[in-house]
Amino acid sequence: MSDCDLIRESMPMLLTESLDSQRRENAHLHIEQCPLCSEEWNGYKETWQLLGEVPEVDVPARVKERFLATVNPQAVAPPRNVVPFVRRPAVRWLAQAAALVVIASGSYFAGHRGAPVQEAKLPPIVQQTPFSIAESRVLPASAVSSTIEGRPDIQNISFTDVNPSAGQIGVSFDITSHVTVTGHPNDASMVRLMRYVLENEDRMSPSSARAIDWVRTTYSQPGYSNPEIIAALSNVLRNDTHEGVRIKAADTLKTLTPEMSVPDTRAALISALKSDPNPAVRIKAVEALLNLARSGASLDAATVETLRQKASQDDENVYVRVKAAEALSNVRP
Amino acid sequence: MKSLSDQELMRIVQAGDFSPASEIYDRYSTRIYNFSYRFLRNSEAAEDATQEVFVKMLKHASQFHGDAKLSTWLFSIAANWCRDYLRKADNKAKEAEDVLISLPTPVELAPDRNLERRQDEERVRKALMVLTPEQREAILLSRYQGLSYAEIAQISGCSEGAVKTRVFRAMETLKKALTMDASGGTRCLTAI
Repeated sequence: MSDCDLIRESMPMLLTESLDSQRRENAHLHIEQCPLCSEEWNGYKETWQLLGEVPEVDVPARVKERFLATVNPQAVAPPRNVVPFVRRPAVRWLAQAAALVVIASGSYFAGHRGAPVQEAKLPPIVQQTPFSIAESRVLPASAVSSTIEGRPDIQNISFTDVNPSAGQIGVSFDITSHVTVTGHPNDASMVRLMRYVLENEDRMSPSSARAIDWVRTTYSQPGYSNPEIIAALSNVLRNDTHEGVRIKAADTLKTLTPEMSVPDTRAALISALKSDPNPAVRIKAVEALLNLARSGASLDAATVETLRQKASQDDENVYVRVKAAEALSNVRP
Repeated sequence: MKSLSDQELMRIVQAGDFSPASEIYDRYSTRIYNFSYRFLRNSEAAEDATQEVFVKMLKHASQFHGDAKLSTWLFSIAANWCRDYLRKADNKAKEAEDVLISLPTPVELAPDRNLERRQDEERVRKALMVLTPEQREAILLSRYQGLSYAEIAQISGCSEGAVKTRVFRAMETLKKALTMDASGGTRCLTAI
């Protein structure tokens, strides 16, 4: 191996100053005197410098949240103001109701088999209690209508002796049903339901992106802005793992926030602007902040500082920088 | 917690108390995430890698010996995760899947220098993906993490000589891909 080959092989170590002083000195002496190695060395230095052009990115906050949740699930606070639903499909409640319909009907017919025909005293109809969506529930047979409406499909059926000594039996099964909840967009129950839908993508189909589209159409109408919906979108922006969904959330906040400046939302937008790895999310976030600034909302010092940093960050997307600068120019003193 | 050394924090973890988890995460997550992101060029996978590294750190805390640097151990776990990720055939197609959105550049606020810098970034990212995973691992740990060849050897499970060769070959490839085009004087990617 020639001297030139040896020198070239040691060039990476020369760059990291990993060579001992004697070898380093010898290498530099050779490079100064050898045009080919000198050219090679310049190429190495330029390449090394170019590698440094790739900026470091911030870790999305959700990674830490997920990690800490793994370490200690109690360390991560549950979402606030979420309706106390359980995570199973919302229609299971009907399964239990239908099961009890069967029980009621079975009991009724068993009790009257062979007996003189009388006018049946039907158990009372299910009372109109507040609508409850729960994983499962048990109802007494007397609380179920004697007619089975809609001929539902019954699956996963099981028969149990609930309390043999008291002659109590149970029939459990799942039933698929379709529920339509109606109400004004700003009804508290409707808002809570929408928030649940937005924040629980893994529990719904087809996707929360559709829910965000619908929320955008509905809640961007004058007078329909709602802080809970905005808070839910903020959570989606902060936590959703799908970039497309985060983009939609930020874009929707852009249309909603001027009317409803929520500190938590600003924090979510700032967090996305600072650390979301996807530039499209950062773009939507800075546009939302620009809208806030234009609307005359007061921006706190941390928000202004972040905008200032972004406006002057050389390695940031140019569009983000421009919009950050524009937002700063709209900030009220 | 902030005043404690890595070794002291790990001794607490080894005793079954995970309260230093957050502090250790804060110290190293950015480095681990960026290493994984540059290695895989996939932000979603980099997030998974980062989380997994710290979960494994807690699960296997007993395997950490105080004579080694915590960073070296964490990078070993991260490198293993990334290698496994790439080994899975279905993940290969996901490499380089992060697509950056290009927007029209406002002329008045787009100095040539910035434009060129951004182009350079993109060239470097692409050039890094041309390297073999072993070469990429070595160059990332050397260039961006400033680790010695001995530390890289420990992380990669190979000899220092092998690291030296990997870095050299990686630099050769990158130099060809990134340096000036002699004929036109403009930057070009010859190997991509």
